[in-house]
Amino acid sequence: MTDPGSELIDYISKEVIRRPNVKLTVDTPLVSSGLIDSFSLVDVLTKLEEVTAMRIPAGKVQPKDMDTVSLMLSTARRIGKPRK
Amino acid sequence: MSAQHSTSSIPFATLTEALTAAPDNRPFVTMWFDDDDVSTYSFGEFKRWSTSQAALFKEHGLGEGDTAILIMPQGVALMAAFVGAMLLGAVPSILAYPTFKVEPAKYRSGLAGVSANLNAKLVVVDDSFPEEFLESVSLGDQSKLIRVNSLPPISASDGLARVRREPQDLAFIQHSGGTTGLQKGVALSHGAVLRQLIHLGDSLKIQPADRIYSWLPLYHDMGLIACFILPMVYHLHLVMQSPTDWVLQPASMLHLISRYQCTLAWVPNFTLQFLARRVKPEDRKEYDLRSLRALINCSEPVRAESMDAFAGAFSDCGLPPTALQSSYAMAENVFAVTQSGINGASAPSRIWIDSSKYQSERIALSVDRGSQAAACFVSSGQCLPNNEVRIASENGESLPEGHVGEILIRSDSMLNGYYNRPDLTSLSLRDGWYWSGDLGFVLDRELYVTGRKRDLIIVGGKNIYPQDLEEIACAHPLIHDGRAVAFGLYNPDLGTEEIVLVAETEELSDLRDPSLVEKTIRASIVAELGVAPRAIYLKPPRWIVKSTAGKPARSATREKLMAEHSELRISLTNKLNE
Repeated sequence: MTDPGSELIDYISKEVIRRPNVKLTVDTPLVSSGLIDSFSLVDVLTKLEEVTAMRIPAGKVQPKDMDTVSLMLSTARRIGKPRK
Repeated sequence: MSAQHSTSSIPFATLTEALTAAPDNRPFVTMWFDDDDVSTYSFGEFKRWSTSQAALFKEHGLGEGDTAILIMPQGVALMAAFVGAMLLGAVPSILAYPTFKVEPAKYRSGLAGVSANLNAKLVVVDDSFPEEFLESVSLGDQSKLIRVNSLPPISASDGLARVRREPQDLAFIQHSGGTTGLQKGVALSHGAVLRQLIHLGDSLKIQPADRIYSWLPLYHDMGLIACFILPMVYHLHLVMQSPTDWVLQPASMLHLISRYQCTLAWVPNFTLQFLARRVKPEDRKEYDLRSLRALINCSEPVRAESMDAFAGAFSDCGLPPTALQSSYAMAENVFAVTQSGINGASAPSRIWIDSSKYQSERIALSVDRGSQAAACFVSSGQCLPNNEVRIASENGESLPEGHVGEILIRSDSMLNGYYNRPDLTSLSLRDGWYWSGDLGFVLDRELYVTGRKRDLIIVGGKNIYPQDLEEIACAHPLIHDGRAVAFGLYNPDLGTEEIVLVAETEELSDLRDPSLVEKTIRASIVAELGVAPRAIYLKPPRWIVKSTAGKPARSATREKLMAEHSELRISLTNKLNE
């Protein structure tokens, strides 16, 4: 079974960035580097909900919470509610 | 083009007077987060909450004529704070709250610029506002910043003495679209706002049973006027969610319209396409849209394919064939200038025009739908009562029907001026007409908006000036100063425009490793403007087409780039908007 971090990295690489030469780690800055923008960040947050099986209240997510995969996962742990 | 003179009278002198007259037991706002987290507040509860906020602000020195900045999450606490400030005779202005979607550097610079111009006596943030953004709020010697609780008061008396205001007094400041930090504060009087709402109410035939749905942010005119002030003045029920929650669960809009049987909603064009694409066919049967009287496409150019995509996707949900309507609106006129569906029209008019005539002579010549190079335009409707539109040439002469020119507006709901910016006010308001910067034409009393005079790019409802993108690109040391061109490309899948940028390097050798340059420019654009370009192209020296004045010719450069790069697909409508 794939861990949530790897699953997110795989999704962002293949579905959002779609540039084979860009290699991501859990600590790669995504928003501040311009690799992804606010439109695709929404897709990423939806994916984050899926891989963590959490419902994440978007209104409580701050910009700094979404800059790396590592920060996304800790945000899900901090404010996410288990999905029904 | 003008409408008949309105004969409707305004029963209130101010917005707060209109609220005071609302029946206490009537539901005002339902704030929905999910089906397990939803709260409804009556007009009585809202009045008490607003009074409580007014008392708090008074303690902190806010008084008559002072400006107050409100930076709070979408919700009833923000709305009560807004009215609370008005109860004191102060002038509130709502600024965007930072969400995960904003880029921090861009947000900071915007906050600093806008708050400096407003020079507020009181800045109100909620108890969760991030500390790292507070230092960007410009505070004057007399300013004070307070944090407020986002929960309603346990008890609040209605004993606050209200400050008497007159129709000509300033009610609030809303911000026009534009590059962050350079956003203009549109100062509006109580009278102007009430007159707009009377005209809009007449046009839409507002009834007490109407119920409005909204995910629109309250710092934008469409959210603030149509989906907060209008229901407050007409004593209607509003069902609201936050924009960020909606973007994560787009189908929630359909769920809420179905559950609460909403009759009116306003959305920017991309929403229609977004919903048609995101909501799976097998899930659509859950929704019942029969209650919708009008779903109004506003604030982005109205696209026929977006309206058709939505109608096609949701016709089985009972969406009435006349529900999809359109409007042309702007903060400077409080909100709407035109509205479709007036005078019994069933749906916004569409025309097919000869695109070659349009491009060469700027004339909209009607042709058969199936004709070669026929381009479709959707009307934004007819003028609201007491609103007038004139199409003007570059030198201000009125143009006849079917000729494309700048849209000028005159009405009885016009702005007092741009707050603290008399220079901008005198540029835009001349001889009683507001020069919108939008391009369009009029045919058979219908207004067709075709684009922006200043090549504005609209990305998901956000206005981006190409000059700002070009300036960022040229700040890179390997890019030749003044040799960059940015433009918008309509993406039919997204229902909105995307950004394309092309820039010349200083030397041919700089193109050996273009990816690093591209990456740096991309990061700077995201940091400063909060959007990511679809594509950045680096070209050798002297590639960009220049005008006779030696400046980059945006239109010709775009044509050249499109010819070289077949991957840049472009819709005909967008081509026409050059």
